[in-house]
Amino acid sequence: MHEMGIASSVIEAVRAEAARRPGARVVKIGLRIGELAGIDQASLTFCFEVLVKDTDLEPAVLAIEDATCDELDLAYLELEE
Amino acid sequence: MERVALERKVLSENERIAAGLRERFARRGILVLNFISSPGSGKTALLEKTLEGFPAGTRVAVLTGDIQTDNDAIRLAKYGFPVRQITTAGACHLDARMVERALEGWDLDQLDLLLIENVGNLVCPTSYDLGEQAKIVVLSVTEGEDKPLKYPGIFHKAALMILNKIDLLPYVPFKIELARECARRVHPDIEILEVSCTSGEGLEAWQAWLDQRRRALR
Repeated sequence: MHEMGIASSVIEAVRAEAARRPGARVVKIGLRIGELAGIDQASLTFCFEVLVKDTDLEPAVLAIEDATCDELDLAYLELEE
Repeated sequence: MERVALERKVLSENERIAAGLRERFARRGILVLNFISSPGSGKTALLEKTLEGFPAGTRVAVLTGDIQTDNDAIRLAKYGFPVRQITTAGACHLDARMVERALEGWDLDQLDLLLIENVGNLVCPTSYDLGEQAKIVVLSVTEGEDKPLKYPGIFHKAALMILNKIDLLPYVPFKIELARECARRVHPDIEILEVSCTSGEGLEAWQAWLDQRRRALR
């Protein structure tokens, strides 16, 4: 239900990291989401796609791994020069 | 292609603000409780009864969150303690920044207890730390006994489950033992209280729970 807010937080964090690497393009965003986090993965992906449409992050894909408990972590970014 | 490890929480900005709040509360020995339930489980009624039970001069304040309206703040303000409404304008939960803003202008040195009524929702509020000492989940007997299994996140995180509306037990098929069992399956150590805000049954035990928590901070 709050996937839109979570997607915004992901994008905010990704932008902060990407800003430190000018010229690099984000191609993949690795997330780990626990079963108790209350996040629907399909809905999160949908929200993410809506928010990045027509921006520099549009080509980036979310790679979501299942995790335990209420984990909701931004694990890694894949960047291309 | 280069992979950069980040290993941070998605909600790290919320966590940062919540940690700041927690530190401010702890420095003053303020007990802060975050009430979470489905819409209509009786959070506001429980807070009304709680405020009604406090002697004048009790150093308590309430923040109450809703998507729209300040109806709950109006209900809760009748008891003479400071109350502020947080209207989220669409957001399905409170976050730490909303709490921080709502506290502006309040002298925290005048408080021992802050009760935060979250937006009625069992899912989203669970993810957002508000700097509270404990989350309390309210489940009423007009809901399903298996809610703890359907929404395990909040029952896992809550220190206390309050089973509300027990005066209705003769009229509904709710099996209270099954509800307890479901909650304990998700969270074996969860504390459980049974109350009715209509008949007043169980409210003394709830007040005792609160008093014990407050004394522990002094």
